[in-house]
Amino acid sequence: MAEDVLLSDDLLSQLMSVGEVDLLVGMSSHNTANTVSHLDAIEESFQRNFVRQRVVIVNVASRDKGEDSVVAKGPGNLAEAGVRLPGITSLRTSHRVTANVAGPPSPGIALRTILAAADLLRARACAVVSPAGSNLHPDSVANLLRPVYREKFDYVAPLYTRNKYQGLLARNLLYPMSRALFGCGIRELFSDEWGFSGRLAALCLNQDVWHEQAIQARPEAWMAISAISSDFRCCQAFLGEKSQATKGLGTDIVEVLRQTVGTLFWCLETQQSWRLERGRSQPVPTFGPAHELTSDPTDLDRHRIFEMFRSGVTELEPILSSILDPETHSEIKSIVALAEGKFRFKSDIWVRTLYDFAASYHHAVINRDHLVQALAPLYRGMTYSFLVEHSDSSPAEMEAASEMLCDEFVLQKPYLMERWKAKVEVKS
Amino acid sequence: MRQTIVRALEEVYGNLVHMIAEFLPRFLVMLIIIAIGLLAAVVLKYILRALLGLTKLDRVSDDAGASRVLRMAHLPPMTELLSRSIFWVTWIGFILVGLSVLRVAGLQEQISRLFQFLPEVFVAILILFLGAVIANFLSRTALLAAVNAGHPSPKILSWSIRFVIWILAISMTLEELGVARQTVISAFSIIFGASMLGLAIAFGLGGQDLARKCLERYLGDTKEKEDKEPQPL
Repeated sequence: MAEDVLLSDDLLSQLMSVGEVDLLVGMSSHNTANTVSHLDAIEESFQRNFVRQRVVIVNVASRDKGEDSVVAKGPGNLAEAGVRLPGITSLRTSHRVTANVAGPPSPGIALRTILAAADLLRARACAVVSPAGSNLHPDSVANLLRPVYREKFDYVAPLYTRNKYQGLLARNLLYPMSRALFGCGIRELFSDEWGFSGRLAALCLNQDVWHEQAIQARPEAWMAISAISSDFRCCQAFLGEKSQATKGLGTDIVEVLRQTVGTLFWCLETQQSWRLERGRSQPVPTFGPAHELTSDPTDLDRHRIFEMFRSGVTELEPILSSILDPETHSEIKSIVALAEGKFRFKSDIWVRTLYDFAASYHHAVINRDHLVQALAPLYRGMTYSFLVEHSDSSPAEMEAASEMLCDEFVLQKPYLMERWKAKVEVKS
Repeated sequence: MRQTIVRALEEVYGNLVHMIAEFLPRFLVMLIIIAIGLLAAVVLKYILRALLGLTKLDRVSDDAGASRVLRMAHLPPMTELLSRSIFWVTWIGFILVGLSVLRVAGLQEQISRLFQFLPEVFVAILILFLGAVIANFLSRTALLAAVNAGHPSPKILSWSIRFVIWILAISMTLEELGVARQTVISAFSIIFGASMLGLAIAFGLGGQDLARKCLERYLGDTKEKEDKEPQPL
């Protein structure tokens, strides 16, 4: 670990004055209003759930924003901080530490700073909370910390209540693919909130990956996969409804694909020797409800989604032909020709398409960023098919369909292996 | 009279023997230089091929679209092309050095001019190669961005970018080679200016609706657009 370059003198002196801690919550602040409300929520969580534990909040902030006065009050009793709850008296000192970085902190820089602080303070349980949004529920913080501190888990992924039409990339790609290939069914591999143990923090901190673009943008999935691949104990904790705060990138599909699918493919690339040996997936213990779906009405333009799929596949034909297996490509071209009412993206074609993309990413048949972007029209096709197929489905039916998709990913794993190991043919 | 003829013949014979005596060693030196050149060229070719194989240049070339350009021109892959080029350049260089040993009048001047021109040829080839790489990369970037943003004519945008970069690369290549320098600059200015003016007029007048839609898309309220697709995460 390189604290000498990673942690500034100011931060080091703040951390040394804190000493060892039991719990650490990290966040990177984006604006002052959110920072204050988040800090209050975290401290409330500490007061309610961890009265006897030594705790610290590490806030990674931009040096230019001047948030020191808001966040870093320095060591002080909760009562002095003026957020004392009726009937609850903290027996420990709550510390707030601010790590100032030049420019807006990227998720990778923020996480690395938090991990370094956790390692230095020998924190037993840590959590990262979302910097965006206006409200953070104190129970969410406790739900992320508790499995690590009390149940000795090493990684805690969040679970949310969702609208059944939201989170389709996670449902149809990230979750089933990572479950099939990494053997651990974490539903929310990409989230702004998660928990982890001190030993996982130390393991991740010592990896030489922090300069990678995938880690800078979305380090949480890599952390989860590192935990799985090192046989650390993983679990999921229900946090309630996924608020607007944690939705992050919105519907900019290309950017979401770059950050999530790009990172997943990168993780496949770096963990390949381990992945080839892994068998079937292990069940992940879950605290709280396993998965909740709501059916609130949504205003989705299915026709536009289908048209973008159709035009995208047509216009990108030369690029797709260099990525996809000829058989897969011809099947996609045949379903593109179908009328909108008859179109369905069958799960076997979808899985083979994704495995073709993963293998082509491995062989770098074209620029990797371009490759991930070329997936956007196909994802739209799958989204359209999903919206049509599940317009009247109950949550149980959707869950059953999700399980079938997961099985399809496992079933076709040999196809990926075959393409992965195949000598790449240079195509135009 | 007879003695004069015999003396002249003896003199010619003497000169011939002297010339052959002077020429033969030079010719042998030339042959040796050419043979050494052939050996050096073969060694360099294999070394370069191995080095380029290690750097996976063919994959880079394919990714950048340069391989497709080479195939269209019925040329071998990039690694093979560069190895063969280094072989021929090296050997031709040795052949020219060998020829200069013969001290044929006028030949040395031509050889030195040819050597002076070689760097320009290399720079020109490099410009063309980089042009092909950049044109392919940027046109594919534009195509993907336009398709994913739902642009109505992504291929036109992509081909326009490819066309402009190719024109620029070809003009720079010809200028580097010194081929009709003034004409090339004028032709490039005219073609580039006319293309841009034509596109501007076509976009502003012929495609008023398209222009309005584009401006609305980029400057207008994006909230409506966001609600039309489900949250991916």
